[in-house]
Amino acid sequence: MSIKAQLLSIKEDATKELNSISDVKTLNDIKIKYLGKKGLITSVLKSLGSLSVEERKEVGQLANSVKELLEEKIKEIEENLRKKELEELLKKEKIDITLPKQWFDSSAPHPVITTLKEITEIFNWMGFSIESGPEIEFEEYNFTKLNIPENHPARDMQDTFYLNNGMLLRTHTSPVQIRTMLKRKPPIAIVAPGRVYRKDMDPTHSPMFHQIEGLMVDKDITFKDLKGILKIFLENIFGKNIPIRFRPSYFPFTEPSAEVDVGCTVCGGKGCKVCKNTGWLEILGCGMVDPNVFKEVNIDSQKYTGFAFGLGIERIAMLRYQITDIRLLFTNDLRFNLQFKGIE
Amino acid sequence: MKVPYSWIKEFVDLDLPAEIVAEKLNISGIETAVSKFGKYTPNLTTVKVLSVEKHPEKDKLYICQVSDGINNYQVVTGADNVKTGNVVIFAKVGAKILGKEIKPIKFGSYESQGMLVSLEELEIEDKSEGIFILDHGTPIGADPNYILGLGEDILEIEITPNRGDALSVRGLAREIAAIFRLKRKDYKPNITLPTNSLDISIQTDKVYRYVGILIKNITIKDSPLDIRLKLLKSGISVINNIVDITNYIMIQEGQPLHAFDYEKIEGNLSVRYAKEGEKIVTLDGEERILSSTDIVIADSKKAVAIAGIIGGENSKIDENTKHIILESAIFDPISVRKTAKRLGILTDSSYRFERGVDIENTFNASCKAADLILNLSKESTIESYKDIYLKPYQPKTVILKSSYVEKILGEKLDNSEIKDILGRLEIDCTIENGTLNIKIPSFRSYDLERSIDLVEEVARIYGYDNFNPTYPKIDVSSFEKSKYWHFDNKVRTYFLNNGFTEVVNYTFTSEDIYSILKTSIPNTKIVNYILKSHSVMRDRLAVSLIENLKENLRFSRKDLSIFELSSAFYQNFEEIRVSGLVSGKIVDGFSYNDGKRQFNTNVDWDFLILKGVLSNLLDYLGIKNHDFTDTNLENYLHPYISANIYVKGNNVGYIGKIHPEIATKLEIPKDTFIFELKLRYVSRGLEEAEALKEGYLYTYYLEKDTPKFRELSKYPSAYRDLAFVVDKEVKAGELKDSILKSSVYIKDIKLFDVYYLNEDKKSIAFKVEFNNPEKSLSDEELNILVEDILSKLKLYYPDISLRM
Repeated sequence: MSIKAQLLSIKEDATKELNSISDVKTLNDIKIKYLGKKGLITSVLKSLGSLSVEERKEVGQLANSVKELLEEKIKEIEENLRKKELEELLKKEKIDITLPKQWFDSSAPHPVITTLKEITEIFNWMGFSIESGPEIEFEEYNFTKLNIPENHPARDMQDTFYLNNGMLLRTHTSPVQIRTMLKRKPPIAIVAPGRVYRKDMDPTHSPMFHQIEGLMVDKDITFKDLKGILKIFLENIFGKNIPIRFRPSYFPFTEPSAEVDVGCTVCGGKGCKVCKNTGWLEILGCGMVDPNVFKEVNIDSQKYTGFAFGLGIERIAMLRYQITDIRLLFTNDLRFNLQFKGIE
Repeated sequence: MKVPYSWIKEFVDLDLPAEIVAEKLNISGIETAVSKFGKYTPNLTTVKVLSVEKHPEKDKLYICQVSDGINNYQVVTGADNVKTGNVVIFAKVGAKILGKEIKPIKFGSYESQGMLVSLEELEIEDKSEGIFILDHGTPIGADPNYILGLGEDILEIEITPNRGDALSVRGLAREIAAIFRLKRKDYKPNITLPTNSLDISIQTDKVYRYVGILIKNITIKDSPLDIRLKLLKSGISVINNIVDITNYIMIQEGQPLHAFDYEKIEGNLSVRYAKEGEKIVTLDGEERILSSTDIVIADSKKAVAIAGIIGGENSKIDENTKHIILESAIFDPISVRKTAKRLGILTDSSYRFERGVDIENTFNASCKAADLILNLSKESTIESYKDIYLKPYQPKTVILKSSYVEKILGEKLDNSEIKDILGRLEIDCTIENGTLNIKIPSFRSYDLERSIDLVEEVARIYGYDNFNPTYPKIDVSSFEKSKYWHFDNKVRTYFLNNGFTEVVNYTFTSEDIYSILKTSIPNTKIVNYILKSHSVMRDRLAVSLIENLKENLRFSRKDLSIFELSSAFYQNFEEIRVSGLVSGKIVDGFSYNDGKRQFNTNVDWDFLILKGVLSNLLDYLGIKNHDFTDTNLENYLHPYISANIYVKGNNVGYIGKIHPEIATKLEIPKDTFIFELKLRYVSRGLEEAEALKEGYLYTYYLEKDTPKFRELSKYPSAYRDLAFVVDKEVKAGELKDSILKSSVYIKDIKLFDVYYLNEDKKSIAFKVEFNNPEKSLSDEELNILVEDILSKLKLYYPDISLRM
């Protein structure tokens, strides 16, 4: 066989062998067999000396091209095999990504605190600063200075828990108004969120619940301003187009006083069980600070006017999350609490 | 108060649906709902009772023959008040009574072709005694729905405490007339009074007017149907003509009345203070023990009524009463309220007196009652009367300026507009020199005293909804950021983000839990608690969180991480605290084995994990240098797996495992951990400075330094792992602090191994980072540093050695 024929047959054989390769070891064997120091192509090249110059040139070129072809092919196969091996290696590490997390379960905020926070922050955003006061109060701050004298039927509006130290559990957040005005002169704009207590216990009344009190006092504060501020607040809580209604009412510490209703969020105002078929939900009480209260805290009611408002948080939270029994809020059965993940 | 709409229409001409009137009352300040009187019921007719016979076979049943004028029916009834000649209501076959259809039914061998009905069966009364008997002249064969007014509109009124004037048909008519710009109607009693000579003496200053009318020769009987129906529609029980008329006038005029049986009165009537301990049996059959501040009506021997509250059994009107004294009076609201509260009696009368009754209508109302009584018993006469009215009403004048109205409301109303509104409310006023001089009428003397009160009257009749919202112009230069709020919320958010669910507990608890926790019961307690288990103001939140764990165990939840941010109470102050309780697993995981790898993802709560949560919180709040110490632990904590937490030498809280003995008593898992941190001090005084006390995280949070950037070292740090052999009682944290203090070149130090070598010794290994900002440290220099550290440590730990 001529050298040229040998080369062509090597090329054919090597290609055939390479095409059927499946592992690195065989590939190395083939590499040595053809391209090694004692390999077939090397030995062919070694025998070139016996050829004429022209033949040498021609066969030499052929031999080099076969060599390059094989080298390239081997490199390619080598690359493929490495990839395959890596893939197998990685595959062995495979996990089932649908297995459960190794981390604690997410928690839930309390719906009342979330609502309290949201409402407080709406007023804070409007410029009201946030104040607080003790929950065990003096009769003086809870009633007397708020123009609720002893033996007045207005005291029936709030059934009070009395303590053995002569004080009481505050029945509303309104004493924070008194405390603030005793400490500071107008202008005043505050809200006071907090726990309050009344002697009452049924599906809609809890002996402990939460309120927010608001107070704004300065030289030119009017009833129309009160309507403006509460409108912004109610629209932020219940949505832009919520119907709002102000009804005259009575609180000893405000005059004129009003109760504010919004269109029933459950039935849209058509009348349902929740709104007792009135189409309205009572949301908050408010009014202009009574001059008697100003007198108690030494603020000149000829010069200053102000408004105050107060609202119960549980009612709003219960409406929002459609909770039917107020007592569920304070039992802390986590089957209840954990329903409120992600509400903030 | 309930009142039929039709009654109000007798006093004001209007022809609007009740719902519209209710709506208008609502938005002008009187909460009103509309309900119906009974239920419209087809297939009823009035019948005359032709005969009543005892059922020959069945005890307690009667067989009546009745007629509707065309047909006769036989009807069996169990009621024993039906008499021949009565006109009664008959439910024919097909009528639906209390949801059941009437069908012919046999009682023994007698068939009942329908049913005689009571008010209970017409859903008017909760409980009726016997069949409802109509007036004698009532036509038979007529529709009782029409006669009784079944399905008629009833206004249900709820007044605010300042509006006693609206607790009557008269008052509501006045209010409605004002709203709709109508004129209120009234009538004059048609009686002539003899001389003002009845002997009544007043021995207290708590009665402002007292009218007594002695009426003789009355006949006690049922009231006419009209009166009975109006009372029933007003939710008042019907008794007899005299009592009914006193109630009728009370509802119509707002003036509570009382009638005494004149023959039971010994001597003359007087109004006096009760004697301390004086007893009286009241109309409800209860014996009441009076105090010397109570006011009674008395004869010469005994108290016969508690003034303004309830009458006495001893002077009660009964079927034999012939002569009566009719009382109409004004008693001091506070006195009535005090007595009624103390005795626990609430009557229609005390309710009205507490809220204020019109003193100028007292005499008129009693005359209207006398008029009705005389009309019903033709033979009766007024024998004598007395009207004691020492200080006749002098209307107070209040001055109102339209500029003040504008200052409060933000709306300019001119004088004539204000005058018009007040006029509609029957409040007289004149305009002089541009100001309004307002005369307060007697019926509003209890709630209208000041110009601000009149501003409210103007505003509510003008209509709150007619004021357009505006936005306040207020000087904000003195306003401050609300720091405490943001602090509390930071803490709250931290725990939420660390897997703790937020709970909210009552701040009052039971004494029992304190006993179980071997902790002294706090001394702040609710006197008038609802439940004994809700009577102690808690001084720590742990008591509540433990209850929460128990509640959740009831529903088989063993793994929980909860926290509460709330109040704890002490004799003179309060604290805002955050407390958490963890039990079971922090990660509720699974085990895994694929032949090559094997792992378990469960993580149980443990002391050190919880310690990490708290340490990180303090880092997050910027509170550095806190210590955990194991002395003076709470009794309910495990003595060796618990710690108190100190910042700047002050206790700020604790962390620990529940004492196993207490866990057993509480029936909670042994691996339950709890912590409590004091966040803020809440003063009950007004001093602001008190708020920043030592021992509260908020104080340290506010005091923290703002970190200032330090230049980064140009030279790399060198690390050495050093294992120290020490006595086994040595605390790792203390050793670590000693090492840190021993060389200025130590940048950081981290414990990575604790190994108990034998009974006495253990090895504690740290990775120590050395750095010299001036140059790189060579091995030799490091060796010298380590030698130096060891020699310094020997001062505190003589036996310490390095483990090679």
